[in-house]
Amino acid sequence: MEPNMVAQIQIKNALPPIARLHYKSGDLIIKQGDYGLSIYKVIKGKVRIFRESGGKEVSLATLGPGEVIGEMSFFNRSLEPRSASARALTDVELEAWHPARLAREYDQMPPIIKLIADKMLSRLIKTNTLIGKLGAKLEESRAQNRLGAEPKGSGRRFYRKQVDLDCTYRPLDAPPKVRYPGKIKDISLAGIGMEVNSISRSNTMHDLGELLYVSTVLPNNKEVDFIVKIVDIRKGRLPGRLFLGMAYVDVSEDSRKKLGFFMMP
Amino acid sequence: MTIEKVILGYVTHEENYGDKTEIIQQGSKGDWAFVILEGEVKVKKKTPKGWLTVDTLRQGDIFGEMALITKGECLRTASVFANGPVKVGVLDTDRVIKDYESISPQMRTLLRALVTRLKDSTDQLATLVSKIAG
Repeated sequence: MEPNMVAQIQIKNALPPIARLHYKSGDLIIKQGDYGLSIYKVIKGKVRIFRESGGKEVSLATLGPGEVIGEMSFFNRSLEPRSASARALTDVELEAWHPARLAREYDQMPPIIKLIADKMLSRLIKTNTLIGKLGAKLEESRAQNRLGAEPKGSGRRFYRKQVDLDCTYRPLDAPPKVRYPGKIKDISLAGIGMEVNSISRSNTMHDLGELLYVSTVLPNNKEVDFIVKIVDIRKGRLPGRLFLGMAYVDVSEDSRKKLGFFMMP
Repeated sequence: MTIEKVILGYVTHEENYGDKTEIIQQGSKGDWAFVILEGEVKVKKKTPKGWLTVDTLRQGDIFGEMALITKGECLRTASVFANGPVKVGVLDTDRVIKDYESISPQMRTLLRALVTRLKDSTDQLATLVSKIAG
């Protein structure tokens, strides 16, 4: 037999599984943001694929026997971290595949197939990013329905406390490790006023309607964090600074209590 | 965007479509795929709230490949409309399928998973967009 025939046959035969893994219902199998190459085939049970966006879990799919998990990081060659998390919905048995051998095969497969795979992959990434953003937006409009009318233009109804607090913030859809410094200048029960650097930052972040995740420590040493929406943008008092008027979109029960206590006259 | 030379080698013939022509109909059968040679297309999904655009594709982009990889077993998952005059190349289904079958069963499973994931995500995007629009 010619050597390349042998190679052909080896590729055609299923590559051997390298391990069987067992997870209990509720276990996290893959964490979004981690780096990893392993591919898993579901043998038994159900797995939920979800994306974390602004502290919210947005479901992408539920997978059952015969379906695979982790193919995204594989196709990406792990240059990008895991784009979604996977959690066991029931007790789950998985077969782990050999990523290195599959990677080698991927490189050697017919260029047209590789091209089609690459194109589908980039469309999938684009679609999933949009789902994450829109999911957060939908949550936001739901939160607003709960809170009632937008506080813009009705600021006087709320008692506003002047402060000078260092805080960090990031766009809601940015990875959690992204942190920009800001200064909270006033706090009310409807929202906050925050001063930020307008230069050397992407402008899209400071658009009206943009959602930001903000974290700070109140003067009484209580840590609070919340999601706010930009409802007003003005020039700051200093050049290169912007003043953002922002309404709460999502405040945890814990942060709500701490803020309420802090706001007591 | 440029068209990859490797795709051009698979083009059997070219087709021209006028603005707003439906090139692929959602729910129809078919296993052939296209590459955009000139112009732009809109990928749209039919929802209870009407047509929703889920993607815009340009020169060098491929569409219809999901049905091709599943060998026409799954129906077209979305409609594709010309956005202005469009010239597309029709890919040689038999040759692409032959290439596809030369790869290992595991790799084929991975590619089919990619198709399923893309279909699910596109469905979900359409649902979300219609919720927000409503």
